[in-house]
Amino acid sequence: MDNLSVFLQILFWGLYAGCIYILLATGLNLIFGVMKVVNFAHGEFLMIGAYITATVFFLTGFNPYVILLLSMVALVGIGAVVERLCFRPILGTGKLNEIFLSIGLIYIFQNGAAMIWGDAWQSVKSPYDGITIPIGSLSVPLDYIIIMVVTAVILSGLYLFLKKTTLGMQMRATSQNRKGAMLVGINVERIDIISFGLGCALAAAAGTLWVVSGQVFNPYMGSIPAVKAFAIIILGGLGSIPGAIIGGLLMGLAENGAAFLLGGIWKDAVSFIILIVVLIFRPTGLFGGKEG
Amino acid sequence: MKYSVLVIAVLLIAAAFIAGCTQQQASTQQTAAAGSQDVIRVGVIASLTGPASNVGTNMWQSAQVAAEKINADGGVTLKDGTKKQIKLIVGDDESTQAGGQKAATKLITDDKVDILVGGYSSAVTSAYEQTIAEYKIPYIVTGASSPIITHRTDIDTSYIFHHCPTTDTYGQYTTQFIDQVIRPAVNKKLGAASDRPFRLALLYQDTAFGKGIQTAVNDTITKNKLNIVLVSQQSFKMGESDFRTQLTAIKATNPDALYLGAFPNEGAPAITQARRDIGLNTIFLSAENNDNAQFYKDVGQYGEGAIIESRFSPYTAPAGAVASAQDAFKQAYFAKFGTYPDMMGASTYDGVFIAAKAIGNAGTTDKATVRQALVDLKMPQAVEAMKDQTISFSPDFRDSGFDLWM
Repeated sequence: MDNLSVFLQILFWGLYAGCIYILLATGLNLIFGVMKVVNFAHGEFLMIGAYITATVFFLTGFNPYVILLLSMVALVGIGAVVERLCFRPILGTGKLNEIFLSIGLIYIFQNGAAMIWGDAWQSVKSPYDGITIPIGSLSVPLDYIIIMVVTAVILSGLYLFLKKTTLGMQMRATSQNRKGAMLVGINVERIDIISFGLGCALAAAAGTLWVVSGQVFNPYMGSIPAVKAFAIIILGGLGSIPGAIIGGLLMGLAENGAAFLLGGIWKDAVSFIILIVVLIFRPTGLFGGKEG
Repeated sequence: MKYSVLVIAVLLIAAAFIAGCTQQQASTQQTAAAGSQDVIRVGVIASLTGPASNVGTNMWQSAQVAAEKINADGGVTLKDGTKKQIKLIVGDDESTQAGGQKAATKLITDDKVDILVGGYSSAVTSAYEQTIAEYKIPYIVTGASSPIITHRTDIDTSYIFHHCPTTDTYGQYTTQFIDQVIRPAVNKKLGAASDRPFRLALLYQDTAFGKGIQTAVNDTITKNKLNIVLVSQQSFKMGESDFRTQLTAIKATNPDALYLGAFPNEGAPAITQARRDIGLNTIFLSAENNDNAQFYKDVGQYGEGAIIESRFSPYTAPAGAVASAQDAFKQAYFAKFGTYPDMMGASTYDGVFIAAKAIGNAGTTDKATVRQALVDLKMPQAVEAMKDQTISFSPDFRDSGFDLWM
């Protein structure tokens, strides 16, 4: 392998990692943008999405990329229930309540998953396992191309939903000015529940793509990605969807670049170094507005 | 609103109940033990939850098979001629240092165990060694393989006995195997000169365990002037599941072999990603803790031709003195749990027998006397092949000596 090939290969792995981060962070930002709640348990929705996909795959043998849709729908439902029962009652009562509630949810979901599925690590083999596609000097597995395409399709769908549909516009309105949205007759509680469900569905998509890529998973897999997702949305700007996308990509590329240049132990640290540097020069994040 | 608050309260109570389920299981065992004076309380520290739970569960289940065998054979005879049964009490280290500290403290202070067995992950085990030193409880470590476990000098480790090959030992064995067996074979296959240096790459966990392997490999090459060049040494954090970048860097150095200092939940995806995603089709060597049924299942066809240094395997064993003992252990384990034990299970099985033998030899559960019995211990090997077919601990660092195989 020449140096250019190595560089391109690392770039490719950075893009792949970025896809997972983008989906997770975009979901988190969608929820934060509309409800302004801090949900540290967002990584657990990624974990549940991963387990739903894996379980259905083990039981039926269906293509996991198709099961992704089922997993997303299931997480819309789970997210709606969590929003209705847990977050809505404490909305506006202070960040401390939200933080402790979400920490409680982490334990509930992790222990619940461990009871249902066991807490040993598991892995899934994609139906496209072993198929590679030549791209220039690289030979990359088909799964990663599909993962990038699926991420792009989901983000495009989200963009169209937010820009072109009435519901999407209501969500954006609520995100921009909650009181104003209420005054013009938007049912913000309905928007909250839909936003939370949609955010969880994006986390489920991230979890599914994690599983399909052949990475091992267990009930505790969501904790670190959730922290990173928070770093990404702060980096990109709280509430900013383009910020989450750019932040996620930047994080994926930076982590893999650091692992190559500095060693694997710097993989997690570099994301937060970038976050600190960005916040020093631009406290609202890359795409954050005044309210961010 | 009131209804919602009620639902949240119910959810939280349910969460507390769920969270307490594992603990409940442990407590049941513990009550049985603490409630009777006629038993020897053996504490087993294992990772029942968290990333290492697969190995930890295997250790705990193996300890149970050993205790049942000892008790079925009459238990342990003390000085006054009384026979005592063994009661196991498990402490879950949760695969974390904080969890290990909690488990050790609880077993010692609440459950008042007579002796401790177990301990997986050197990082986790070393975190609570101070507690062992403070309470002077004999502890037979059967899973944490860094030499620091008994070599460290910042605390008193005199009550800690290491029944597990250290990373020094198996790092050295593996490097010598590479030099003596793999290097000539590769040179022959490549049609290269016999003095062509062997290109070895390392991918190791950035912990005492992984760094121990890295140090052992480097030291063995230097001290013995082996014709091996370390072309790449890449690290990763414990619990990592994405190794693609490090593997890309390793592939660029064109290694003849890659030695993985990894846990099974890291080693299996690393080999899979190397072969499937990176196209790194080289010889993979794994440390002994990967000789685990889940590892074989996960690595699947990508494990073809990979080599594991081992001393106990769920599937195979070289013919010899321990083969029949291993078979009997595997059968007993399978009959009870429907799966096969792994290597850490085997050393924990041995560990419970060592604990019973030491207390039997001491004739008492007095901690200092049991410690001395462990120092003086000489007992026949059980399910693992030992140096001179005998389990005993070295006088300097209280390490037992193993015969290893590849």
